[in-house]
Amino acid sequence: MKDKIFAVLQRVGRSFMLPIAILPVAGLLLGVGGSFTNETMLETYGLLQIMGPGTVFNAIFTVMKEAGDIVFTNLPIIFAMGVAIGMAKKEKEVSALAAVIAFFIMHASIGAMIEINGGTESMLSGATTSVCGITSLQMGVFGGIIVGLGVAALHNRFYKIQLPQVLSFFGGTRFVPIISALVYTGVGILMFFVWPVIQSGIYAVGDVVLNSGYAGTWVYGFMERLLIPFGLHHVFYLPFWQTALGGTLEVAGQTIEGAQNIFFAQLADPTVEHFAVSATRFMAGKFPMMIFGLPGAALAMYKVARTDKKKAVEGLLLSAALTSMLTGITEPIEFTFLFVAPLLYGIHCVFAGLAYMLMHVFNVGVGMTFSGGLIDMFLFGVLQGNAKTNWIWIVIVGIGYFVVYYFLFSFLIKKLDLKTPGRDDSEEVKLYRRSDVEARKNGGAGVGAQASTEDALSEAICNGLGGKKNISDVDCCATRLRCTVYKAELVNDAMLKATGASGIVHKGNGVQIIYGPRVTVIKSNLEDYLETAPNEEHIAQKETAVEEEQVTEKAEGKVVETITISSPVTGMAADLSTAPDEAFAGRMMGDGAVVTPVDPVVTAPEDGEVCFVFETKHAIGFQTDSGISLLIHMGIDTVKLNGKGFEVLVENGQKVKKGEPMLKLDIEYLKANAPSIVSPVLCTELEDNQRIRLLKDGNIKAGEPLFAVDIYE
Amino acid sequence: MKNFSYVITDEIGIHARPAGLLVKEAKKYASKVVIKANGKSAEATRLMAVMGMGVKCGQTVEVEVTGDDEDAAFEGMKAFFEENL
Repeated sequence: MKDKIFAVLQRVGRSFMLPIAILPVAGLLLGVGGSFTNETMLETYGLLQIMGPGTVFNAIFTVMKEAGDIVFTNLPIIFAMGVAIGMAKKEKEVSALAAVIAFFIMHASIGAMIEINGGTESMLSGATTSVCGITSLQMGVFGGIIVGLGVAALHNRFYKIQLPQVLSFFGGTRFVPIISALVYTGVGILMFFVWPVIQSGIYAVGDVVLNSGYAGTWVYGFMERLLIPFGLHHVFYLPFWQTALGGTLEVAGQTIEGAQNIFFAQLADPTVEHFAVSATRFMAGKFPMMIFGLPGAALAMYKVARTDKKKAVEGLLLSAALTSMLTGITEPIEFTFLFVAPLLYGIHCVFAGLAYMLMHVFNVGVGMTFSGGLIDMFLFGVLQGNAKTNWIWIVIVGIGYFVVYYFLFSFLIKKLDLKTPGRDDSEEVKLYRRSDVEARKNGGAGVGAQASTEDALSEAICNGLGGKKNISDVDCCATRLRCTVYKAELVNDAMLKATGASGIVHKGNGVQIIYGPRVTVIKSNLEDYLETAPNEEHIAQKETAVEEEQVTEKAEGKVVETITISSPVTGMAADLSTAPDEAFAGRMMGDGAVVTPVDPVVTAPEDGEVCFVFETKHAIGFQTDSGISLLIHMGIDTVKLNGKGFEVLVENGQKVKKGEPMLKLDIEYLKANAPSIVSPVLCTELEDNQRIRLLKDGNIKAGEPLFAVDIYE
Repeated sequence: MKNFSYVITDEIGIHARPAGLLVKEAKKYASKVVIKANGKSAEATRLMAVMGMGVKCGQTVEVEVTGDDEDAAFEGMKAFFEENL
């Protein structure tokens, strides 16, 4: 049960990542635009002449400001869509449409209820607002999240529904917006009664946090850091940033709720003299910790690494430290010590809380869009001027943090002999392990295609997770690959680590593999790979791993003979893995290549014998005189055409010369009636010492070399 | 030696994909698996031979397993045919 909750929360957390990803961009527009249209700022720097109202610059920056601001204004609906997309299992686009519809309907329904019950005057002040032009309850992003989660639940339940014949047009995915619309009419009515109660509850809790002063800020910071390893920090801090939990404030005549919203509303309001620290206390603490503290820890880890491994850890730690400093993405560096030295992480959490508290004490009013890196500090601190933000304290406290982190980490690592990167006696530094694996895979198979590097990595990850059959979902957040598996026991940590992961978190059937910011690329490669991978379980055992290595090593021996197989048809050649069919792409039928024919005549690829022609005429079994068994399979699923679209020019058992015509295709008919005309040409019976090497990728003529069969010693 | 016969119900018969799966299944066992149909016979581990038989829907195939793990192979192959063909 607990694990199930974790799995759901993990999905909720990662579904937030899509809408959150827009915030840095929107923040950049608003930050730059807001700063340079702020007359007080322009006056301070004497730029009124060049950039003041009426100038071209002012026009540009005003547009930027508005473009950024609109995103923050409409975050609820963006969250509704983003969460619905993130939580929907399949046909995600439909859930997005349904979420928008449900969002409008819910608020329209609330609006109608308000009207019926005496209009906005009879409601609590600040309880109502305009949501996309609808007068409704102020629900903040919670409103969006309620819609997103509910619609996704309806979607996952109903997107395959079958309705009676008469109504069948409204079945399947079309049913999802319909049911969502009906349900959310009801939810709207319900919310009219429920939300005001929740609202006063949130205000009360927010009050407690807000009024607990510095101690409250420390607890907030400590909790936020502590939740990072579980990936649940988004769930924790977002309510503070986006709802009344993080306080309410009147800015430019409007009641704004949520710490981040307050900050950005103030950013857009030129009359603000100092940003509200009651709001920024939930953000500013990240700056000294991320820009100064963690890089100090990185330097400490570098210094205490073994001399012979310093070079290797340098790249790892430097890039991790830079990522933290510039963008405020801290996982790469935090995960280098979290798993090997949890004690250090505990200390880090205490200091993180302290950083938030110190920023609060020193009245630092710097907000952020996403996280606390240099970019945000510059835009929302330095550019706004010290008078409004007290940003200088970030630097002062930060320098202290750098020193403290450096000495504390050095001392503890040495004293307790913690195995941070480059200190482990047996293991090589992780970064090196990954490239080693790739190099071995690359060189070993002799399949020199560039694409295979990614595929090799994806394959390794897939196998580490227990094979495709074991993988239920794949997604990612800023730094980790978040997967759900069916059988947790099939997951092999060692294999996953070898793929370059800096850490792995398990919770029930949820697995998070931490790679750092490059994870989005890894995720899309893995998804592409999974589309075509064989659907099977991979049971990882030490023995098999060793065996595989031996096979690879054997194969690395000398090529004693190479047999070239030519293309039987003129068209486009490509790697077999691109075949739009699992069985072929997964090399279940053998290894080779695919050709997409443009010319109707299929010829003998080499001198040999036609072993058999299928009665359905769509495929030929062929044996070359050099002893290779080939299957030439024209198109995908063409067996179902029962011979239509094909004309056979040879007989079973007939000896043919290279280039002799064997089949004639009606390409137009095939294109119209088969799922694909991509045609696999493959060797069905390869020995262990035989490997396929693609010779041509792209345009190819019949008779030109397609792939080679390398025979090793 | 153990054997069973099976009537193919898959409408396209033992075509490329099912044949590929069949070979994969047969390779799991040490026993020799032989398939007979249409008066032809083929070793189940040889894809070309299996496909070359051109077994169609409604035809009966005889499957023969001989070897050390023939009990397991018998059960495995039988289950495979029932599930996939």
